[in-house]
Amino acid sequence: MTSEFSVEREWHSDRRSPARWIFSHIWRYKVYILGILIGALGNAGGAAVMPLLVGQAFNAVVAQPPDGAALGLIAVLIVLSQIARAILQLGRNFSSEIIGQRIERDARDELYTSLIGKSMSFHDRQSIGDIMARATNDVREVNLLMNPGVNLVVGSAAFLLFPLIIGPRIHPQLIAVPLFYVAAYAVAVAYYLRKLAPATERVRRAFGRMNATLAESIEGIETVKGAAQEGREIARFRGAVDAWRAAAVGQGDVESLYLPSLILGVTMALGLLHSLLLYHAGAINVGDVVAYNGVLMFLQFPTFATQFAYPQVSSGLASARRILELMNAETLLDENKGGYAGEMRGDVTFEHVTFSYGQGERPALQDVTISVKAGQTVAIVGQTGAGKSTLTKMINRIYDVDAGRVCVDGVDVRAWDLDALRRQISTIEQDVFLFSRTIAENIKFGRPDATQAEIEQAAKAAQAHEFILSFKDGYNTIVGERGVTLSGGQRQRIAIARAFLADPRILILDDSTSAIDSATEDLIQQAMFRVAQGRTTFLITHRLSQIRWADLIVVLKQGRVVACGSHDELMRTSKDYRAIFAGDEERPKKTAAQPVVSRANGQVS
Amino acid sequence: MFMGLAAEKYDRQYSDRQLLRRMATYFAPYRGRLIRLTLIILAITAIGLVSPLLIARGIDLVGAQPSVGAIVALCVGLLALSVINWACNLMRRRMTARLIADVIGQMRNDAFRATIHHDMAFFDEFQSGKVIARITNDTQELSQVTVLISDLISQFTILIVLVGVLFTISWPLTLALLVMAPVVVFFGWAFRRVARMVTRSGFRVIAEVNSAIQEAVAGIRVAKTFRQEQAIYDRFRQINRRSYEVNLRRGFVLSNVFPTLNAMAGLGTAVMTYVGGLAAIGGTVSVGAWYLFIISLEQFWFPMTNIASFWSQIQGGLSACERIFALIDAESSVKQIEDPRSKVQKGDAQSSTPNLRLRGEIEFRSVSFRYNEQQQVLRDFSLRIAPGESVALVGHTGAGKSSIIKLITRFYEFQGGQILIDGRDIRTFDLVEYRRQLGLVSQSPFLFNDTVMNNIRYARPDLSDDMVEAVARRIGDGEWVAALPNGLLTQVGERGQHLSMGQRQLVALARVLAQRPPIFILDEATASVDPFTEKQIQAALNLILADSTSILIAHRLSTVKSVDRIIVLDRGRIIEEGDHATLMARGGHYASLYDTYFRHQSADFNAEMYQKLKA
Ligand SMILES: Nc1ncnc2c1ncn2[C@@H]1O[C@H](COP(=O)(O)OP(=O)(O)OP(=O)(O)O)[C@@H](O)[C@H]1O
Ligand SMILES: Nc1ncnc2c1ncn2[C@@H]1O[C@H](COP(=O)(O)OP(=O)(O)OP(=O)(O)O)[C@@H](O)[C@H]1O
Ligand SMILES: [Mg+2]
Repeated sequence: MTSEFSVEREWHSDRRSPARWIFSHIWRYKVYILGILIGALGNAGGAAVMPLLVGQAFNAVVAQPPDGAALGLIAVLIVLSQIARAILQLGRNFSSEIIGQRIERDARDELYTSLIGKSMSFHDRQSIGDIMARATNDVREVNLLMNPGVNLVVGSAAFLLFPLIIGPRIHPQLIAVPLFYVAAYAVAVAYYLRKLAPATERVRRAFGRMNATLAESIEGIETVKGAAQEGREIARFRGAVDAWRAAAVGQGDVESLYLPSLILGVTMALGLLHSLLLYHAGAINVGDVVAYNGVLMFLQFPTFATQFAYPQVSSGLASARRILELMNAETLLDENKGGYAGEMRGDVTFEHVTFSYGQGERPALQDVTISVKAGQTVAIVGQTGAGKSTLTKMINRIYDVDAGRVCVDGVDVRAWDLDALRRQISTIEQDVFLFSRTIAENIKFGRPDATQAEIEQAAKAAQAHEFILSFKDGYNTIVGERGVTLSGGQRQRIAIARAFLADPRILILDDSTSAIDSATEDLIQQAMFRVAQGRTTFLITHRLSQIRWADLIVVLKQGRVVACGSHDELMRTSKDYRAIFAGDEERPKKTAAQPVVSRANGQVS
Repeated sequence: MFMGLAAEKYDRQYSDRQLLRRMATYFAPYRGRLIRLTLIILAITAIGLVSPLLIARGIDLVGAQPSVGAIVALCVGLLALSVINWACNLMRRRMTARLIADVIGQMRNDAFRATIHHDMAFFDEFQSGKVIARITNDTQELSQVTVLISDLISQFTILIVLVGVLFTISWPLTLALLVMAPVVVFFGWAFRRVARMVTRSGFRVIAEVNSAIQEAVAGIRVAKTFRQEQAIYDRFRQINRRSYEVNLRRGFVLSNVFPTLNAMAGLGTAVMTYVGGLAAIGGTVSVGAWYLFIISLEQFWFPMTNIASFWSQIQGGLSACERIFALIDAESSVKQIEDPRSKVQKGDAQSSTPNLRLRGEIEFRSVSFRYNEQQQVLRDFSLRIAPGESVALVGHTGAGKSSIIKLITRFYEFQGGQILIDGRDIRTFDLVEYRRQLGLVSQSPFLFNDTVMNNIRYARPDLSDDMVEAVARRIGDGEWVAALPNGLLTQVGERGQHLSMGQRQLVALARVLAQRPPIFILDEATASVDPFTEKQIQAALNLILADSTSILIAHRLSTVKSVDRIIVLDRGRIIEEGDHATLMARGGHYASLYDTYFRHQSADFNAEMYQKLKA
């Protein structure tokens, strides 16, 4: 299994099938399985010992003379046996609780690790809501499979044995009915499980969809409200809830057709018939008839318990399948541990790179060839959707090329150790994402060991220090989800600070000042320029002011490089370049003489 | 004890009675079904009680030397009973499954409906992962409640019948037993506090896990580019471990209930054996009655312990309900008030809102606003925008431009002053109706995981495919659509991730173009598109801006030049206003701002700047 991220573990699960996977998890906790078995037997034993003791008590009372002391002793024994039974029961409950919770913990851990190890092309396809459903609820179902599911199945199995053992001791023939029951029960349960599998799977899927629908509505809440489409979202969610309802009812219907309870009825009637006929034939006495029919009663517990336990098991298996589906999804990239991991200089070359996001889709990049020397600044320009962002994502292997190759320092990026490669490349995303943690934590995200002084320095360079201090909690202000409690420009400046602090060898700035006014940009630009010195920088921007200091400008059009050169050259030679940037050249009527920006805080003077 | 698992601010405590009463309202619509279900349960219980009698009768027969025919008849009777029992059980399961699904579904719908109407401040403050967990995960617990309650009915019936039977066997012993029973019930009752506490923290921790997973998956790209997977993983591990501990504790506490109750039942049996035995020896009760009594005890304890455990078992359901109701009841800070005028016109069938078409006049009267105590955003802010006017807001980042827009859209509550729309207090509108009149492109456009086509008609579901295409063509003759991998049928992916940023903005723009609202609000709607495409957008916009009220925010000043009035903001105050020419002539803030911007675009300046930077 290839993965971009892995953790060292001393255990490995078996991912070949849901049942094997669950079993490989359970098997790690053998001791507790023993606890469950002992507890189950103890519980059954405790139940069985009761009538014996009561019988003794009866003997004591009817004895001549009545034996009061023995009666007291028996009462004490009853208490002791029931306490022992309770303790064993407790042990069994605890054991299965521990196994269940550990499986939940381990399975979630395993799924989570696998998720962060998946490539971006995998994540592009997933909906967060559905992943959430799998990682929380489906994992929980696997826990429930163990407890109460398996716990009940095992616990009740002991009771199946009593009639099989006791029946023939009364009369050899009396094994027939219990045997019939056990055989029919096995067949019926197998049938039940087969029917349940698709039903529970449908429920789990519907639940995932419902969660995904909900998550999307809530993530897009501003758009929903802005477009006044609450009614529509409510209807959409209701549709998802209805689908879940239909699936849940479907599962209920399968559960209701539980044959073992019918078989039990038949068994009881047959048992009575058989024993009475034997009595009629004079083979057994009245006491035997009573005892036999009493023992058959033991079958009730496994019959009814498993009606609830098996759906739980089936649900757990369906969930395990969904979890495995994610974990076993192919992912193209791998960590390439032990690959090239040298100090990066920063030469980047693209050789006939072609890439498309989906199979059969039009390539986002076609036959791109560029060569950038260490320390150079490259501006990438082009119309919306030309493939600028895509191009930069090839460098740190967010995606892998389909054809051609990308080399950093002359080494194919696929030959690099992924960790070493990505650590030395920093990107300021076009679509800034902030974690809902403190501002300081967000800035030092790429370098968790940075000191407060370093954080502030980066923030100052990104012109963020000032506004951060204007918040009451300063650097400890917790930003909202995805950074929603900051203005667009503030978010971008934090992202810039984050990239500055990471101090990479290759810096990628993807439209990183789009939400920032020109005056503030002026100030940031100086910092950017300084930062760009001595490292390779890729600049995606629509602002001429930044394009100008590039050593090289690459013009992309529909995924192809259509021109390369300096601004002046391109203005002269490239029609596409002129199409983008011509027309803004009109002079203002009055030009301010002195520099516009006079204060360091980004205010307009 | 459960460190860090704090309640959300909107969480509150309801009394058990409140919870039960409100929970009952969810079952109330299914009264008929509940009655039928109860009848079925009673039938099942009755059969359960009769079958042993039938067997006992059969055994009695044995003494009387029955004919084979009688034996067979008896067994057939027993068989018939169990077939009926099975059929009843089948109906019971079917009905319960439907009841559970309906009640849970209803509760989810209610919770979602309430949530979607909470204001934006709510979503800023509370992590969506946790909110989602309440709506989908916690509601699940209602199935447990339904099963518990329907079991309770049958346990009670069995118990009553059994007590009756025990009375006929020996009333003094039964009385003695009934004196002990409350002790067991009390013990089950005593568990409930702990049970509530542990189940509550169980829900909280699962919400925490949900939220951690959501954030990690949403931010996976950042984690990858900075190679911080390990840090993200460590963080998750902590939460997962805590979830494990909390759930284990919950499991331990809850799994104490039955063994304890069973042990107490054992104690009860022992006492009855001893005391009853002595009584039998003493001759107060007959030995036969005593023996029969003790044998029947086992059957007595089963429903008894179940009933006793009820209160602790149902605490999970109550905690879940408490969390869901708190979500539903969360106070909105945005409060709409009754329109005084619509009160006057009460005679009309409806209030004044439906089919409202605004002229588009917007007025702020000394509005003051802050999101939270962190900082004041607007102070004594006044602004009037005439119907049909186009206005641009400019100013440095964080000046409060987007905030003004968020007040117009009524996403947040302001603290002082007044906002009037068409001369009417914004607080008196029906929000959904009102917002239908606004066309908003926000700074970070959100797209739904659907086709481009459906995203464009999001606000106008009634538009035909051709009409959507016509709208898309209005921008640069649809060139941008041709560049999409699959034209208008391209799937945009989660949040629009399969499109480039600029394309996302174009879709969001087309969305409001399709809407044709009286008020247009564009918050940096073209920030991520190239100048060429922007010019195309501008051409499309000019048509609309001409006849509707519009508010633009842009840092690229070339886009704002053509508006009627430019408003320059600084820290939430207006420092200049006027049209482009006037402001330029004035040579103030705007002029210098524009100049910076312009010079950024000019070759000379950039060359000069470059030299300076290099030096
Ligand atoms: N994750 C993705 N999955 C599928 N297609 C994608 C994905 N990301 C981008 N695309 C497609 O690839 C093409 C290039 O996108 P890219 O983001 O590289 O454009 P861009 O040049 O950066 O544009 P912009 O200036 O608007 O940011 C677009 O047509 C887009 O629809
Ligand atoms: N949801 C929010 N919760 C709390 N504070 C907020 C929220 N949104 C914005 N703020 C704060 O309010 C102030 C004004 O933000 P606003 O978004 O109005 O700025 P802006 O002028 O639109 O800036 P930009 O040009 O960067 O988008 C900022 O200091 C910001 O941190
Ligand atoms: Mg891009």
